[in-house]
Amino acid sequence: MTLHSSASFAAAKKNRVPLAQIDVRGADAAQKLARVLPASGARGLRVTTFNSSL
Amino acid sequence: MTGPTLVPFQQIVVKVHSRCDLACDHCYIYEHADQSWRTRPKAISDEAISWTALRLAEHAKSHALPSVSVILHGGEPLLAGPERLRRVCEEFTSALEPVAALDLRIHTNGIQLSSRFLDLFDEFDVRVGISLDGDRTANDRHRRYADGRTSHPLVLRAVDLLRQERYRHLYLGLLCTIDVANDPVAVYDALAELEPPRIDFLLPHATWDDPPARPDGSPTAYAEWILEVFDRWDARGRPVPVRLFDSVFSTLAGGPSLTESLGLAPSDLVVVETDGTLEQVDSLKSAYEGAAATGFDVFRHRFDDVALHPGVQARQLGLAGVSRTCRQCPVVRSCGGGLYTHRYAGGSGFDNTSVYCNDLKALVRGIEERTAQSTASPAVSDPEALLILQQDLTRYTLARLNEELGGRGGERWSAAWELASAIEETSLGLDEIYAHPYTRTWLHTCLDALREQRPDAVELALRLESYVAAAAVRSGLVVPVRVGCPTGTLVLPTLGELRLTADGGPCEAEVAGGPDEVLVSVPGREALRVRPGEAAPGWRPLRQPGLDGWPGLVLEDVDPFRDCFDEPVRAAGGTEALSRAWALLRDAAPEQAAEIASSLTTLTPLRSGGPSVGRHAYGALGLGLEGTPPELAAALLRGFARAKLRAIGEVADLLAEDGAWLHPAPWQDEPLPASQLLAGAYERVLLASLDPAAAAHAVLALKALRDAPEPTVSGKRLIAALHKEAARD
Repeated sequence: MTLHSSASFAAAKKNRVPLAQIDVRGADAAQKLARVLPASGARGLRVTTFNSSL
Repeated sequence: MTGPTLVPFQQIVVKVHSRCDLACDHCYIYEHADQSWRTRPKAISDEAISWTALRLAEHAKSHALPSVSVILHGGEPLLAGPERLRRVCEEFTSALEPVAALDLRIHTNGIQLSSRFLDLFDEFDVRVGISLDGDRTANDRHRRYADGRTSHPLVLRAVDLLRQERYRHLYLGLLCTIDVANDPVAVYDALAELEPPRIDFLLPHATWDDPPARPDGSPTAYAEWILEVFDRWDARGRPVPVRLFDSVFSTLAGGPSLTESLGLAPSDLVVVETDGTLEQVDSLKSAYEGAAATGFDVFRHRFDDVALHPGVQARQLGLAGVSRTCRQCPVVRSCGGGLYTHRYAGGSGFDNTSVYCNDLKALVRGIEERTAQSTASPAVSDPEALLILQQDLTRYTLARLNEELGGRGGERWSAAWELASAIEETSLGLDEIYAHPYTRTWLHTCLDALREQRPDAVELALRLESYVAAAAVRSGLVVPVRVGCPTGTLVLPTLGELRLTADGGPCEAEVAGGPDEVLVSVPGREALRVRPGEAAPGWRPLRQPGLDGWPGLVLEDVDPFRDCFDEPVRAAGGTEALSRAWALLRDAAPEQAAEIASSLTTLTPLRSGGPSVGRHAYGALGLGLEGTPPELAAALLRGFARAKLRAIGEVADLLAEDGAWLHPAPWQDEPLPASQLLAGAYERVLLASLDPAAAAHAVLALKALRDAPEPTVSGKRLIAALHKEAARD
């Protein structure tokens, strides 16, 4: 599997967050990893959904 | 027999004052069916405050809630005055501080808002939401004083105050109740001009007994109004989050709803009235007198008692809690049957569609039509994007391992991690390692071991050294990499393995060199030189059968993490049958063969059976290499279908609420959940080149899925593409 000469891979590599700077606790990482890693079991922070307030 | 499931409350609405200084004629508290406000104390008592805080802390502790939201509400909560609100803030802060994070909010009409209040809110980090129905014309249509005077200038003054630098961090946003008689663009522009951190639009409360106004008679007037706002908001570059839109985006993509007015999420909200009585969500007051009552209060009852109340539980049933019509509707995941209150009709109660059903359907579909093209994952339509996203997922998994280790890897891990980061920045060697399917298997094995607190967890993670060494070799870096070899064998993933000690005893190696020659040094021994593609004493390179049109294929029987299939793996044998099968496949299904060649890099021989997809990243397939060429060709296609569908599902959400519905499957008597129907259809679309009858079954299954509630925007795009391909065959 080698993509390294493709324009899309070059663009993706250029735009991606460097390995050492990936925030694995951030929402983006959590969403990515949740599809392949088992859930931690901890209840997450809840967004407020009350219709009559923000 | 188990009792009912309890959903703990995480949102507590505290009515700190039961009266209001405005007389909005659309208010559900004063103008709708329930008139219980007339008998409530004006302001919440000290005793009710203390008991509420105590009950909440007890509830948060017993359910280990990480956070709770307390929403100060009314009536008009500012009428409680600064001193009473201070008492409220102090009580909740001190009660919750040792137990859970406290998210304090207040929702006000803004009329009384002053620096005195905002200084208090700053002290306790109380964030402020304000009701405003848009421009002056729109706002004055309903939000007036009892004598008819406008409230608009005073609300603007409050928002101006909140936008000042010293209070801006407390500004939560604006809440707008829709009236379709208002100009949607003028309303949106007026709200956006105030730079709120968030906006939400509310449908005016209505029931089947008291339906909403539809001045032009359109059954979708509210959807049309909201979609006009959407288009304006979109055209202006979406400068502010809109909760209603975000919720639809989220559910269309397979996520949760973000407002109780939409979606199937169970309600976790309870209301404390000024007299300490505990009630269900207060919009129910629009349905009938006493609709929100539970008979409980904070003085005598725990929040758990209320959570088990049948009325509360009825709003926690998800799909089972909506009407029969809603359960069959393809947009139910997004609309959730609408706000519970809006389903009410005398006689049938809440077991109905929403009085806004046509609007909700048109709204969800309207947003989907406008955004599906840009929000569907590229992984479903672009094979190269799938590969890139898969590699990225492996990178994130590696970063997660680094985080989970939390320093336990010591200096060896730190050195390897730093080198990995440097290689990633300067060359492509590590990207080739990410692309190897079993790199992910190693990462999962490490994370499992850490989670299970296995004694070998850190040693497993330290194999990072060998991955970094392989990356350095692939990159041609001259930097020597130290690799611990606990079994006396140096494994260089994607390259091969080198036996360093005859007895399998541990040793330490230093690896250098480049793609043409690898130099391995072990203390006290002469350096070894191996050529990656050539077998040599002690050195076992990866086996490449060199198939025509599939030059990169490796028969993997070296990687220690390849044993990740349901069937046991075995050594690679002859490749004659595989060669003939591949030739047959290229002839019968050239497009699929080309994609297989550019996507699958690794066949792992299994003792029997297959094709099998194991716990690895995209690119590998487990396969028993016996069988006739036609059998093997079909197995390759089936295996590729399984591998690719799973790979897409690892980087994109294709279905939500899978299993909630069963669908007829054309190839069997028993109905199937959406995921299995999709998998069966996918295989049949690919197999159509070898088995034309498969396409007919696939088309029927894909038609069923196209009209089903489970597919997300990405899922729908995949289903449409497959349908097109199947119909072509």
